[in-house]
Amino acid sequence: MTMNAPRLLRRSRPAGTVSGGAVPGGAPRPDAGPPPGVRVRDLTVVYKTPLGELPALGGVSLTIDPGTITGIVGESGSGKSTLALSLLNAVQPPGRIAGGSVEVDGLGDVLKLKGDELRGARGRHLGYVFQAAQNSLNPLKTVGKQLLDLGRSHGVDDLAALVRDARALLERMGLDGARVLDSHQHELSGGMRQRVGIMLALVLNARLAILDEPTTALDMITQATILRIVREVHKERGLTTLMVTHDIGVAAEVTDRLAVMYGGRVVEHGPTMDVLGAPSHPYTQGLIRAIPRLSGDPAEARALPGRPPTLGTLPTQGCVFRERCPLRMEVCETSAPLPVRREERTVACHAREPYASAAGRGEHA
Amino acid sequence: MISGTGITKTYRQRGNVLGGRDVRALRGVDFSIPKGGAVSFIGESGCGKTTLGRIIAGLETYESGEIVIDGTPMSSLRPKRREAEFRKIQLIHQDPYSALNPTRTIHQTLEAPLALRARRTGRPSSWVDDRAEELLSLVGIDPGYVLGRYPHQLSGGMRQRVVIARALTVDPEMLVADESVSMIDVSMRLSVLALLKDLRERLGVSVLFITHDIATARYIGDEGELYVLYRGQVVERGLTESVISGPVHPYTQSLLSAIPVLHGLERPGRERVVPTEALDERHADSGCLFARRCPFRTERCTAELPELMRVEEPPIGGLAPLPEAPGAAPHEHACFHPVRRSVIPEEAA
Amino acid sequence: MTVTAMLPGGQGGARATLRRNFWRGVGRVLRRKPSRIAGVAIIALFALMAVFGPMLYPAHLPRDDNALYAAPSLAHPFGTDFEGTDVLALVVTGARYVILTGLATAIITVAVGTALGLLAGFHRGRWDTVLMRITDLQLTIPGLPLLLVLSTVWKFEGPLEMGLVLGLLGWGGIARAVRSQTLSLRERGFIEAARGLGLPTRHIIVRELLPGMAPYIAMNMLIAVTGAIYAQVGLFFLGVLPFDSNNWGVMLNLAVFGGGALTSAAALPYLLAPLLAILLLTLGIVLVVDAMDEIFNPRLREE
Repeated sequence: MTMNAPRLLRRSRPAGTVSGGAVPGGAPRPDAGPPPGVRVRDLTVVYKTPLGELPALGGVSLTIDPGTITGIVGESGSGKSTLALSLLNAVQPPGRIAGGSVEVDGLGDVLKLKGDELRGARGRHLGYVFQAAQNSLNPLKTVGKQLLDLGRSHGVDDLAALVRDARALLERMGLDGARVLDSHQHELSGGMRQRVGIMLALVLNARLAILDEPTTALDMITQATILRIVREVHKERGLTTLMVTHDIGVAAEVTDRLAVMYGGRVVEHGPTMDVLGAPSHPYTQGLIRAIPRLSGDPAEARALPGRPPTLGTLPTQGCVFRERCPLRMEVCETSAPLPVRREERTVACHAREPYASAAGRGEHA
Repeated sequence: MISGTGITKTYRQRGNVLGGRDVRALRGVDFSIPKGGAVSFIGESGCGKTTLGRIIAGLETYESGEIVIDGTPMSSLRPKRREAEFRKIQLIHQDPYSALNPTRTIHQTLEAPLALRARRTGRPSSWVDDRAEELLSLVGIDPGYVLGRYPHQLSGGMRQRVVIARALTVDPEMLVADESVSMIDVSMRLSVLALLKDLRERLGVSVLFITHDIATARYIGDEGELYVLYRGQVVERGLTESVISGPVHPYTQSLLSAIPVLHGLERPGRERVVPTEALDERHADSGCLFARRCPFRTERCTAELPELMRVEEPPIGGLAPLPEAPGAAPHEHACFHPVRRSVIPEEAA
Repeated sequence: MTVTAMLPGGQGGARATLRRNFWRGVGRVLRRKPSRIAGVAIIALFALMAVFGPMLYPAHLPRDDNALYAAPSLAHPFGTDFEGTDVLALVVTGARYVILTGLATAIITVAVGTALGLLAGFHRGRWDTVLMRITDLQLTIPGLPLLLVLSTVWKFEGPLEMGLVLGLLGWGGIARAVRSQTLSLRERGFIEAARGLGLPTRHIIVRELLPGMAPYIAMNMLIAVTGAIYAQVGLFFLGVLPFDSNNWGVMLNLAVFGGGALTSAAALPYLLAPLLAILLLTLGIVLVVDAMDEIFNPRLREE
């Protein structure tokens, strides 16, 4: 492996081989198995603050079925980004994963991985597309060189094949692969950078893709294109995809399932169509009603009263949403509602429990 | 009433020694915003909507064209008088974090412009504090809570309300809200929008709303007017409701088609256009500016530049036009092949 | 809490409350780290020395011809000098000159530098060009040679004159730095809003721009004090300036060139005492510099 980067990148550019090639960029490798499922159990992440350790995630449990696109929707401080980072075991101090497990099929408990194992898993199993991908590229290196760095750090032997895969992926997403690999970050538009981010996350054949706010700061039309690409690549490569976003519309456009987070908890989780069509948790209902829409009576939109909690203002006991909740009951002050699953839908709300009066059973830490 | 005709603006980008290239931010834009009205500028980033908003607020110069505020052409005034006229138009910044001075309390922030007014109009100094409280109450926050605080102690929504209150200290005729809610949490956005709407109704302040999010533009002024800008040119304008439900220009249709559909609540529009992404726009400017991205372009489009024209009646496409109120803004477009298409999501049954 | 309760007596009351809160915040910030308290204590000690030091001793310090270069003892903690004068007394009485010069220099450096930087950065254009050319000119003046030349024609009578000269030779760096800070701050939304509201330029510069730069200016001012102390002590040490008065630099010069402190142990305490004073004062300032950011940034102060 003594080839230098420019030669490698140049060699992989034989005219015409990719566009009409046998392996389209979107297809998974022949050895790929089924997409992985993910099971998060009682995940607790705390942040160290002057007021002591405060929970950013308060015992989150979430099952992500293989092959689905799941949207994780929440406002600032809901813990959605912390959850995404926990899936990579990449919570940075002052944050700390205090308990729970994240089981990924074919990988085991991600939280137990350390050092080289963890580094290997990121990229090969877990592909992460960073928030504002516009800033996650090195401004001093071409995309191609960064790709080679990525390959070397993961011990890829056939770097030429890696470059070929990358070009195929970029071309699948509608870009001129060779030109993009030769470009620096500043030569690419926002939408192009976002696609480079997706390419870098998937080029090592990761089967679990985690996208953190993939369309923030992109124009409407570019956003629509990226969302379409996410959906198509997801299908063609047989991925399990998680999309973290604050924009319920973005999640609605592409996801099969939707998890709504508030104050470090998942308050509602179910098929996207059902959650949007018939939201059950009062927060989900309020959030949907607060979206200005293009059809219907604009005056029907209603703001949610109050403001989202921060680490410091999060109530330590009882329901995290009760301050803003129209259905608030006495039991909400003292005990946090447990997630209750009915058919496809999981909701954590006292008012929605089958026996709303059975309060206090099983205090949730 | 604030209006403008033929506003142009070119940014000279500094290139190498051989010279830079010019970016035409505005290519002769006409607009008019009635007293107490609601007008929205929409478009992608780089379409010139922010530049135009800043020009209207007097924060940016323009090369040619004329802005007329309450019948007075701005070019006829000396700089001092012009500044005073432009003070009637206040910009609400996108970012409520940088719009407030972090080293000054809310009281200090409101006091400065109020004290200046009190001095100029001979009001007693007690008026300053009374008015500050009154304005904060008007924008829906408790003066006792915020007056002594610094901006960092307030939430994004509250800061944006303080910014609005500060703009109201000079009794403006118009507020220019440039993406004013995009940095606020989703659940609180609507309440700030509702505040702008409410100020319009209660104080008669007109609102110029600049955004890429057409749904919020609709919420602010469903009976107002919508301008769609593309590369420094107005490509479609008309009553908000009529442009949204029956867009004629393919660019407007692309923008509206790009809005995510809330599956479960909505169904995609019947004639949704597959949007074409922004291209490298350094190419020559012959013909329609949108032609290269347009799914419906013909030869004529690359040869000639279409001007704004009225939507022909009877309807061109499948949709009937909304009945036009007498005196209301006509629905206009700049496209050689205008077809009304129904692209916005429909309510699910 | 009602507004009237919070703002007793209108604006004046509100200002007083703010000022009280500010000082309370300063106390809080200083208490956060023991090193800051130590720094404040050291500075306070030298400040007291500068103010009251000369009052503790007679105008002409007593000499003791029987104890030239005496070793440290209870009566003379740092020994005596070549005339038998107590070294501690020399250090204490010499503090005023050194600190006054330091302060004068720092104030002039910061005042001139900040004013020019602010004006250049805020007005840009022609102002900027002219002011920055002046700044460049100042920066190219070689300080030490100029001082050498100046000292031949001009007698530096007192500490304030000394400070004036040092200050006028040192504001260029601050002017450049303040200008670049102003250029970035003036693009912030609140400056534009202030302009849009028709607030006068003076208000914008003094009330809106300046407070944001306060931590930076305060830090530079403290560092300028240390710089000025080194500069003047160095000048006296080199013997460039006439020794009219008692000064730490004069002590160093006499200890080395007169007492042979570098070769014999007898004058060593005479050399070390002023050195120690300089080090201690610098240490005190450096320890406090670290608190400036938190003191002048409301967010860091109030937390």
